[in-house]
Amino acid sequence: MSRWLNHHLQAMKSVLSRFAANKLSSFMIFVVFSVALCLPTLFYIAVDNLSSLTKHFENETEVSVFLTLDANVKSISDIEAKLKKHQMVKSVQFVSKGEAWQALQTKMKLDQYDADQRLLAIKQNPLPDAFFVQTHEVSIAAREALKTELSSHPAVAEVLINAEWVERLATLLALGKKLTNVVALLLLGVLLVVVGNTIRMQIITQKDEIEVSKLMGATNQFIKVPFLYAGVLYGFFGGLLALILVHGIVFSLNLSLLEITTLYESDFTLSMSTFDVTIMVMSVAITVGWLGAYIAVSRTIAAFSIDK
Amino acid sequence: MIKFDQVTKRYPASGDILQNVSFTIETGELVFVTGQSGAGKSTLLKMVAAIERPTTGTVLVANQNISQLKDSAIPFMRRKFGLVFQDHKLLYDRNCYENVMLPLRINGIAMSEASRRVRAALDKVGLLNKEKAMPITLSGGEQQRLAIARAVASRPSILIADEPTGNLDASYAADIMAIFHAFNQVGVTVIIATHDALGMSANHHRVLHLNQGSVSINPHAQHEDISA
Repeated sequence: MSRWLNHHLQAMKSVLSRFAANKLSSFMIFVVFSVALCLPTLFYIAVDNLSSLTKHFENETEVSVFLTLDANVKSISDIEAKLKKHQMVKSVQFVSKGEAWQALQTKMKLDQYDADQRLLAIKQNPLPDAFFVQTHEVSIAAREALKTELSSHPAVAEVLINAEWVERLATLLALGKKLTNVVALLLLGVLLVVVGNTIRMQIITQKDEIEVSKLMGATNQFIKVPFLYAGVLYGFFGGLLALILVHGIVFSLNLSLLEITTLYESDFTLSMSTFDVTIMVMSVAITVGWLGAYIAVSRTIAAFSIDK
Repeated sequence: MIKFDQVTKRYPASGDILQNVSFTIETGELVFVTGQSGAGKSTLLKMVAAIERPTTGTVLVANQNISQLKDSAIPFMRRKFGLVFQDHKLLYDRNCYENVMLPLRINGIAMSEASRRVRAALDKVGLLNKEKAMPITLSGGEQQRLAIARAVASRPSILIADEPTGNLDASYAADIMAIFHAFNQVGVTVIIATHDALGMSANHHRVLHLNQGSVSINPHAQHEDISA
């Protein structure tokens, strides 16, 4: 056990001292790592934030049913009865055209918009009777079905599903998520190649040491471990740098967002779960570093064996 | 300790290097392997050290059959040997101390013990004052002594040297031979391949002479060859 530990400590030490001896080239690999990890992480955070924003709106279950201007009392009560019986419907609120007209006028007086003086001048009520229906939380498809069903009634002029745009945005975001995954995969592929190639170069420059070690009875494991550590440590330091970059960028974006959101009287900021992002970035970075090193080591060390 | 039985080694390009070679080396013996270059001295040593396997025949080292060793067992077999090469095979990117440390790390020796053994090995070859020096700054003889220190640091029971004095002038060569004798005195089996008579003319050790793929165990024949 202590022998094993000793070997791993030695390997780690020699890798770290090699990093220290080649500061610039090591740092460049860390930068490549961090940029490649940083981009998909930022995409991910952006998509994640937008989708949580749309989730918030998706809970809006309101469907507005506007009747035709000439809808009579019978068709109103007919529709009301139909809505109240419908299994998807939670509650129904009827707003007659008279109520709506009054509410509008009150509101305009309170707001004192100059332009609305002209609206106040309108003597005839332009508004239809309307039902505001709260549905149970159902899929957008079910809501669409309700919409078609209601629209078929001759007294119904228009049915509006308020959450419709949210659904469209969500579809776009799903596309965004897919794109993020594709970009992430491509960049991870690039990282694998970069790490693999770097480790391969290191193996070639240490060819003498490997050959001598083999002659002295070093196991393949003994020879491979330092290179695997190099890969893991590239991942570790690259991942750390990526996290610093991501935090820095999100912070500066939030500063700019603050200016915009103050104008819109909103308190929206980009938020991220530091824990999740840290775990995700670090585990991906270390895995990719290790995998790249593993591939390079298995291929390259097998290629120059002293046992012919 | 080491037993060759009807060993043949054939390379695809150059045919049979060794043909039906049989001999035995006892524990604690010092043996010279002689012959012209290309006679198969290095091949023979490589088979002893489990670097090459025989084409046919058996090589036994400490009662283990080299040709039947599993790949995974070979590294552990090699740790029984200390190897010294004509071209030293030192690592020039690290100092003397770290060169000698390498086999101890391979053997998994704990740091404090390893560091003690490195100094002991450097002391035996007279390089203790050069432990921080880089190998490139050493003379040819010193580099070969460093290679010997590295070979003995892990305390192998068999020391194998391939042309250890090949590139050295006479006084250095005598130095090196004296070191090998000293190790043999304390019980290490020593096998030295050499094409020159220096260092062996003055002693009474066994000589395995290789000629055209076969071996003869006869020191006098060797002397004739040298004078010829």
